[in-house]
Amino acid sequence: MRYPATLSLFLLVASLSLAGLPPARAGESPRPVAFTPPPDREIPAGPFGDLVRKGEKIFTHTGRYAGKYVGNDLTCESCHLDRGRKPYAAPLWGAYVSYPRFRSKNMKVSRLGERIQGCFRFSMNGTAPPLEGDTIRSIVAYSFWMAKGAPVGTPLDGTGMLRMAPPAHIPDPARGKKVYEARCALCHGADGLGTFSGGEVGFPPVWGPRSYNRGAGLAKVAKLAGFIKMNMPLSKGDSLSDRDAWDVAAYVDSQNRPADPRKKS
Amino acid sequence: MSRSSHSSCFIFLFLSLFLFSFPSNSFAGEIEIEGKQIAHGGNGSPGSIACMECHRLHGGGMPLIGSPRIAGQPRSYIEHEILGVREGTRYAPIMAGVVSHLSRKEIRAVASWYAHVRAPKMPDVSPPDPTLVPLGKRIAQKGLWKKNVPACVLCHGPDGRGIPPHFPYIKGQNKSYLLRQLVAFAFLKRSDDPQGLMRGIARRLSPKERQAVAEYFSSLAPPPADGLPDPKQ
Ligand code: HEC
Ligand code: HEC
Ligand code: HEC
Ligand code: HEC
Repeated sequence: MRYPATLSLFLLVASLSLAGLPPARAGESPRPVAFTPPPDREIPAGPFGDLVRKGEKIFTHTGRYAGKYVGNDLTCESCHLDRGRKPYAAPLWGAYVSYPRFRSKNMKVSRLGERIQGCFRFSMNGTAPPLEGDTIRSIVAYSFWMAKGAPVGTPLDGTGMLRMAPPAHIPDPARGKKVYEARCALCHGADGLGTFSGGEVGFPPVWGPRSYNRGAGLAKVAKLAGFIKMNMPLSKGDSLSDRDAWDVAAYVDSQNRPADPRKKS
Repeated sequence: MSRSSHSSCFIFLFLSLFLFSFPSNSFAGEIEIEGKQIAHGGNGSPGSIACMECHRLHGGGMPLIGSPRIAGQPRSYIEHEILGVREGTRYAPIMAGVVSHLSRKEIRAVASWYAHVRAPKMPDVSPPDPTLVPLGKRIAQKGLWKKNVPACVLCHGPDGRGIPPHFPYIKGQNKSYLLRQLVAFAFLKRSDDPQGLMRGIARRLSPKERQAVAEYFSSLAPPPADGLPDPKQ
């Protein structure tokens, strides 16, 4: 009699813990907890606060404040929405508590600063700022401040990008083109090159010479599909079907963009 | 390349040289001149009211009667709004009667005129409310992401100067008009916005937040003063 009771208790617990999670987000155990980063007014006065504010400026206006390391029309915020705070857009609070971490990209344990260097090289199609320099230090300070009060060692809901369940069909760029025209071209332009306003970038380019390069995280269809699913069209996250997200990601990533700098001779 | 396309290329080059060397309303093409006539005197059909009665000849609008400024809005946006009013996706009874008898060509002409002209800001019904402007500015520049409202400037361009061809400028627009549009989007009197983007955003704002962004954007100068995006798009 004891066995079935334990078993059904186990099944109940298992089904409860699965029920709370949409299928695409399952597979992360133990159960992630929600975290809200502190409000802006809690940035302290003094040199640490100054560094945090500088980090935020670089993050939202990367070309203006760290131009020599930037090789395209994007800012950090183009992908890490809400100034690096939005869940499922690889928020900085989630990043801060996850580093140092082992990364298969270079088979090394990397520190947060090194991870940020990676986004400069690939996502910003630029060059890595020195680890001990002001640029990296202030972005790390901004991340540290944003993670204030975040539990360490417990997975946080919305860290990283959404990991999509494997697609039911092989992603189809031709079908993705139709999705792009209907849902994305309005802002990013039918040619994917972005939209400009009085000479400044209005909507960022999603492909072409001024977008992220082939070494970037979003150049992988699965990553891009997860980003799009939760974040695009802007303000209408989670409105595309999984299939549309996969197909449009396959279309966007089939377009021209700068080469992976590790593969240039 | 055929001879005729050569010569049309030449005409195009010639025209664009002209357009770029006369930055403001000192030069107008044929279509703008036709548009100006409609703006000034209607299209001649019985009962037609001239646009200038409510928007002024140079598009500055009339804040007191709730008529928006339209000077320098992207041409395709102006056309889109006129068609929306006609088709009823935008509820605007005063405008509906006025534009119902315009042909597509006349709509394009008058839209080209207003995209082309520039006008200073008209005095608003009341000065900006200093208790609400800071909240409006924060929403405009940073958004209210906990309610899934992105910063307004992401879609309306830096400081709200517009991103042609689909995203109108909102800086320097008159206050009562801005607020009325936000309410119209929120309560579905205006449903001509692509993908329902603006309806969703307006609905998620509280009445106080809608008021605050209207106070903030109306407190700014309209875009021609600091580099308007190319209106010809
Ligand atoms: C083109 C899009 C894009 C841009 C631009 C971009 N990133 Fe990233 N970033 C990503 C992606 C994709 C990841 C990987 C997220 C994952 O693996 O879940 C990432 C990861 C990160 C991480 C680690 C997050 C984590 O949870 O592991 C940090 C920190 C980071 N980026 C910082 C930056 C900074 C700073 C900039 C600007 C210099 C920047 N990024 C620009 C796409 C971008
Ligand atoms: C309403 C306008 C709008 C629509 C529609 C839209 N986006 Fe975006 N998108 C943006 C904005 C704005 C950003 C940058 C966000 C920021 O800077 O805060 C962005 C960022 C991105 C990025 C990362 C930055 C880059 O340029 O590579 C990608 C990729 C992207 N969008 C893809 C898409 C896809 C795919 C669709 C259609 C499913 C889409 N977007 C629809 C406005 C839009
Ligand atoms: C009797 C007054 C009146 C006349 C005449 C009039 N309008 Fe309007 N117009 C308005 C009002 C009031 C609104 C605001 C409607 C609303 O609240 O939605 C408006 C709105 C508009 C808009 C939308 C602006 C925006 O930013 O979305 C455009 C474009 C416009 N009018 C163009 C015209 C043109 C072109 C003409 C002449 C053919 C014209 N109007 C004649 C009163 C008028
Ligand atoms: C995701 C993109 C997006 C964001 C973010 C956005 N808007 Fe809009 N907005 C639009 C679009 C698209 C239109 C044009 C709708 C149409 O074509 O009728 C519009 C139109 C408007 C109009 C009507 C303008 C006129 O001349 O009639 C106002 C007012 C407005 N928006 C205010 C705001 C404010 C305030 C915010 C920030 C709280 C905001 N918008 C954020 C997409 C956006």
